[in-house]
Amino acid sequence: MPSRTRLFPRFGLRAKVLVVAFVLLAIPIAGWSYLKEVERVLRVGQEQSVIATSRAVATALHDRPKLLDLRARTDEGTDPATATLPGGARPVTPDSRAASEEILLIVQGLGRSSGRIWVVDRKLNLLAIAGGLKRAEAAPHRESAWDRFVTAPLRPFLERVLARPTEDFDDALPEEAIAGGRDVASALDGVPASRWRHTPDGRAAIVSAAHPIWHGEQVVGAVVVEETANAIQSLSSDALERLVSVTLVAFLIGGLTLLLFASRLSGRLLRLRDEAEAAIDSQGRIRKLITGTGAHDEIGDLSRSFSTALERIAQYNAHLESLASRLSHEMRTPIAVVRSSLDNLRMQPPPDEARVYLDRANDGLARLTTLLTRMSEATRLEQTVRQADRERFDARAVTAGCVAGYATVYPARRFEFAAPEGVIELDGAPDLFAQMLDKLAANAVDFSPPDAPIRVTLERRGGDAVLTMANSGPTLAPEIAGRLFETMVSARRDAGSEPHLGLGLYIVRLVAEFHRGTAHAENLPDGSGVAVTVVLPLAGARVPQSSSPATARSA
Amino acid sequence: MPKRIAIVEDDPAIRANYADVLKRHGYEVSAHANRREAMAAFATKLPDLAILDIGLADEIDGGFALCRELRAMSATLPIIFLTARDSDFDTVSGLRLGADDYLTKDMSLPHLLARISALFRRADLAREAPQTEDLLERGPLALDMKRFAVTWSGQPVDLTLTEFWIVHSLARHPGHVKSRDQLMSDAHIVVDDSTITSHVKRIRRKFAAADPAFDAIDTLYGMGYRWKTA
Repeated sequence: MPSRTRLFPRFGLRAKVLVVAFVLLAIPIAGWSYLKEVERVLRVGQEQSVIATSRAVATALHDRPKLLDLRARTDEGTDPATATLPGGARPVTPDSRAASEEILLIVQGLGRSSGRIWVVDRKLNLLAIAGGLKRAEAAPHRESAWDRFVTAPLRPFLERVLARPTEDFDDALPEEAIAGGRDVASALDGVPASRWRHTPDGRAAIVSAAHPIWHGEQVVGAVVVEETANAIQSLSSDALERLVSVTLVAFLIGGLTLLLFASRLSGRLLRLRDEAEAAIDSQGRIRKLITGTGAHDEIGDLSRSFSTALERIAQYNAHLESLASRLSHEMRTPIAVVRSSLDNLRMQPPPDEARVYLDRANDGLARLTTLLTRMSEATRLEQTVRQADRERFDARAVTAGCVAGYATVYPARRFEFAAPEGVIELDGAPDLFAQMLDKLAANAVDFSPPDAPIRVTLERRGGDAVLTMANSGPTLAPEIAGRLFETMVSARRDAGSEPHLGLGLYIVRLVAEFHRGTAHAENLPDGSGVAVTVVLPLAGARVPQSSSPATARSA
Repeated sequence: MPKRIAIVEDDPAIRANYADVLKRHGYEVSAHANRREAMAAFATKLPDLAILDIGLADEIDGGFALCRELRAMSATLPIIFLTARDSDFDTVSGLRLGADDYLTKDMSLPHLLARISALFRRADLAREAPQTEDLLERGPLALDMKRFAVTWSGQPVDLTLTEFWIVHSLARHPGHVKSRDQLMSDAHIVVDDSTITSHVKRIRRKFAAADPAFDAIDTLYGMGYRWKTA
C-alpha cells in the first residue's frame, strides 16, 4: 500500500467523533449552574430564618429596661481590650453579671445548636452571648451504592478540586463584627438588617441578622443572630460531587461507545480503501471487493458502487484484451483478398514497371502478416494457457538450453547464464516456459546496445524460482513500468523496421500466471538498464490460493 | 481429364481469386458461396477435392457440417479447410471431422497449389501398389515420399500433409536439430512458433497411438526439435 505524505497531520474519524463527544460537557455545566441557583435560594432561606430568629429574640427583650439600663450604667470606664471572653466577646464586668445572666438565660433559651446569639447595647457593649458557630461533626449520612462505588473512589481527587466546608475555622467574634457590622449599625438605628461575611480566617461564610431591642420608642440595644452557611455548602458540595462523578462516568461510557463506534466505522472504511487501492494490481488485473458488500448502510452502498465501477473496468479490460484476437481474425480475410490478388498478378508476368509496385505491395503485406502472426500468437497463448497440461520440469535445463540456442538466433549478442547447481523443478509447461524465455530474450536484445552482454540468472529464493533477464540500455519511464505487462503496451520510443504491438511482455505475464507466478520490470540499481524478473513457485511449494482475475477473458 | 476442385467460400473476392489461380493451373473449378448451394452441386457430382471455409455467411460452423456430409459421401475425397480461424480448438475439430489439411487464409497461393497437387498425388497413388524406391526408412519409421503415407513398425500413422512434411524434415537427418523456422519452411507454412509446437504435439500423439513407447522426437528448448538417432 502506498504511504501518503500529508501536508496536515491526519485528523481521522475517531478524533472527530471524540471532539464531538465533548458536547457531553454541556450536561455538567448546566448541572453546575442549576446547583448554584439552588444554593443561592437556600442561602436566602437561611437568611430569612436567621432574621426570624433575631426578631424572636428581640421580641423577648423588648421593654425590659432594667436589664439594659443596668448595663448602660456599668459599662462606663471599662476597658474593652483588657480581657477576652471565649468567643472573642467583650468582658462582662461583675457588676453587670446579674443583668447579663438574665439576658443570657433568655438568650440561651432561644439559642440554637448551630447558631450564635449575642446582644449589644447602644454603646456596642456585649451584654450576652450564647451558642456557637461550630456544628457538631455531622453524622455520616447513609451512602448509596453509587456513592460507595463511584463517588468514594473519586473523592480524593474531587476534594482537591471542590472545596468542602470545614468546621475547623476561627469562630472568634472580632471587634470589627460588632462595631463595624452594617447589620448592627442598622439595628441600632431601628431597622433590622442582615449581612453575609466571612470568618476572619476566610474558611467559612457567616450569615448574621441584627434586630433592634425597643424600649418604648427608643432603641436600647440589638440582638444579633449568626450562623455559618456550612450546612448548605456541604449539601451543595455533596451534590457537586455526585454531579462530577455522574458526568465523569457518563462521559467515559459515552466516549467509549462513540470511540468503539467510530473505530468500527473507520476500520470498515480503511479496509474498503485498502481493498479499493489493491483492486487493480500493477499488472492491470482486477479483483472483486469483499468488504461491506453485504452491509445495508452507506458503506455497503459505497462498496457496491466501487464494485460496479471495477466490474465495468474489468469488462473494458477484457474487451481490450480480446481486441487483438478479434482484430487478427477480422483482418485475416481482407489480407487473404490482397494476398491472393497479388499472387494472381504475379502468376501472369506483369510489365517491368508494375513489378516494383508489386514488390512493395508484397513487402507491406509481409509486415501486415507479421503483425497478424504476433497478434494471433498472444491469442493462441491465452487459449493454450487455459487448457495446457501441467508437468514437472527442470527450469534450469530449459533455461540453459534456450540460452544456448540464443547464441545461434542472435549471433551478434552475448548471453551470460548463471544458475545454482541442481534441479530447479517447476510445475507447468516447459514449452510455455521456453516461449516466455524467447519473449524475454527478444525484448532484451531489442533494447540493449549490440556489444553489451545480456545476463540471465535463475535462482532459488524461498519457495520460489526467480528468473531475471537483465540488459543494459535505456531505462524505463516510471509511468510505463507498471503497465508493461498489459496487452498492447510498449515502451519503445523508436518505430523500428519490425512492427511491435507490445504483446511480448503480455505473453511473459500470461506464462508467469500460468505457473502461478508474477512478472515485473524495473530499472537496474545503477541505472544502466532494465531487468525483467519472473517469480514462479517451485514445484511442491505451497501456493497460496491465487486470486483469479475478476472476469474471465472472453475467447 | 482435368481435376475438379470445389471452393466453398463466402467472400466473393477470395472465392474469385482462388478460382482464377486454380483454373490457370489447369483445374476445373466450381465455386459456391454457401452450404445449401454447395450441397446441391455435390449431390449431382462429387468434386475431386474440396476447399472449405468454416464460417459461411450466416452459418458460423457451416464448413464443419459440410465436411461431415462430404466425408459421409466419400471416404477418400481430399478436403482442405482454408479459414481465418486459427485456434487449436478449430484445428482439432476440423481434422477430427476427417479433413486432410487445415490452413489459415494467410497461406500464399503457391503454397496452396503445392498442397493441392500433393494431395492429388496421395489420392491417386493410394490405389496403386507401393514402390520401395521412394521409401525413407529410419528404424521403425517408414515414409512413403510419393504417397505421403507414414508407417511406424508397419502400422499406418494417419498424418496430415503439414504433419508429414514436419516428420520428413526431422527424420531426413536424424540427430540434427531443426529450428521451428526450418520446419515451417519445410512444411510450406507461415505460422507462429506455438503453432509448430502444437503440430509437434499432435504428431507425437498420433505416433503414441500406434506405439505408446514412442519418443523419437526430442524437444531442445530454445533450439527446436530433433529426430533421435536409433
